[in-house]
Amino acid sequence: MTNSPDFRAYYLHTGSRVRRSFLTVLLVFLSLQAAAATLTVDVRNARGVAMPNAVVYAIRDGRESMAPARRRAVMDQKNRMFVPHVLPVQTGTAVEFPNSDDIRHQVYSFSGAKTFQLPLYTGTPANPIVFDKPGVATLGCSIHDRMSAYIVVVDTPHFAATGKEGRVILSNLSAGRYVVHVWHSELNADPAPLTLGSSDQRELAFVVR
Amino acid sequence: MRRRISFLAIALLAFACGAKGDALQWSGFALLRGSSSVDSGPLQHEQLGAQVQLGLDWWASPSFGAHVHLLGRSDDDGRRATAGVAEAYAELNLRPAGDRLRVRGGAFFLPTSRENVDALWENPYAITSSALNSWLGEELRPIGVDATYFRRRAFAGATVFRGNDTLGALPPARGWTLDDHWTLLGEWVPVDAEDFTSVSAESDGRLGWMARGGWNGDHLLIQVTHFDNRSDGLDYGELFNWGTRFNLVSAEYTREDWTFAAENGWGPTYLIPDGERFTNDLQAGYALVSRRWPRSRATVRVDSFSIDDTRENAVTFAYFWTGIPRLRLGGEVSATDDSRRVLLEVRYHFSGK
Repeated sequence: MTNSPDFRAYYLHTGSRVRRSFLTVLLVFLSLQAAAATLTVDVRNARGVAMPNAVVYAIRDGRESMAPARRRAVMDQKNRMFVPHVLPVQTGTAVEFPNSDDIRHQVYSFSGAKTFQLPLYTGTPANPIVFDKPGVATLGCSIHDRMSAYIVVVDTPHFAATGKEGRVILSNLSAGRYVVHVWHSELNADPAPLTLGSSDQRELAFVVR
Repeated sequence: MRRRISFLAIALLAFACGAKGDALQWSGFALLRGSSSVDSGPLQHEQLGAQVQLGLDWWASPSFGAHVHLLGRSDDDGRRATAGVAEAYAELNLRPAGDRLRVRGGAFFLPTSRENVDALWENPYAITSSALNSWLGEELRPIGVDATYFRRRAFAGATVFRGNDTLGALPPARGWTLDDHWTLLGEWVPVDAEDFTSVSAESDGRLGWMARGGWNGDHLLIQVTHFDNRSDGLDYGELFNWGTRFNLVSAEYTREDWTFAAENGWGPTYLIPDGERFTNDLQAGYALVSRRWPRSRATVRVDSFSIDDTRENAVTFAYFWTGIPRLRLGGEVSATDDSRRVLLEVRYHFSGK
């Protein structure tokens, strides 16, 4: 049966159909990728100084169909500092808290977004902490008063923290209406509504006060 | 006073023992140490020593908890206590308007040291601490209430305390030392053949106070502190009160695997035997540089300390190897103007909940 000419013809015909379908799906996927919008956001203070450690996130109107961008994240402790100082994560992300110092830390948060305390430890605790509620968790260490950091939990896969240049690029945004928010530990900015076309390249500037 | 502190510690321990699950944790270390023979001067040290220190922490929530620090050690210098409570306090953390307020009540180490930065006031840089912090660990243990307010990168704190009436006796009478002999609550430490000093000594009924403030950047920390035990300087039998007003300035810079830290403290201490007031000017400071590798650490510390116009200096080099989990093997060499000391130590850390 398997060596019969009929089967070979069927097999070759079916194989070329599969290849064509795959190619079509790939082209559609690539075209969709190419069509995704990009948003560049600049965050400065009232004096025009670039603001690092601000979290920019865009929440889309209606249902967001994209899968979470990242489900695991790391908040390290080095030289009695949390690294990074501000960690944005999507709701449901599991965050690990390794201690890279040679002294012990006792990490805690009693913020509404997530209340927890890791017992005094060195190394990496076995179980990460899952941040399952949007909001801001302010971290501290019971042993070292100088240590503080923030985990900003957002209900969207479109987020990033600004670096020294005060800028983030949110890419792969599908067409639609969004509200863009900026969070900073000390300053505030009003959210900005925004409508994006399928391949828009937009820029937005925020002034935090 | 001693009975009150013991009662507080026992109450905290009982509270902790009744706690369930993750609310209670314990951690600490045990050490064995050998030293070359130095009988007097800043480097005096027992030839063979052992210590066990245990911290018990109970947390009702991340914002409220209690801590007891127990310490036991071998002693060969005739002190009256070899095991007991070094610290016992309750702590409350609040977040008013996004800032942070920490309130502590009980007996605790002065939260200013730039070298005793690990839990249980442990020093990760060297086996012994600087002359400044050796003295503070031996003679000062505020027993009262401390509040620290953190706003953005700035912080300010204030303490009101009892006890510590004899603070200031050791440097003028016995001399500065480089050690880690943390006094226990209620312990009497010999000053000379007749007198003792005790962190729990409260003879004159006056409260002492402390104020501090500072700025904490990404890599740099700067802090200033002033304390005054407001002691009357009078003789109360074997416990002779010393009145001490002291200033502290400290800075710390960390970058990658390097730490630079420095502290300087100065101020007068006085006593009034037979109605006549005698004052000594105390000064002690140090600077250290420490480099960390994945399984080891090396530190060089330079100490300078004086009583009035008599100044001494010391240089300490310490090396730790931490290639085996929980174990720290350490060596330390110290030199003053006229003596040398070599210390070797094995330290084992433990923890659980």
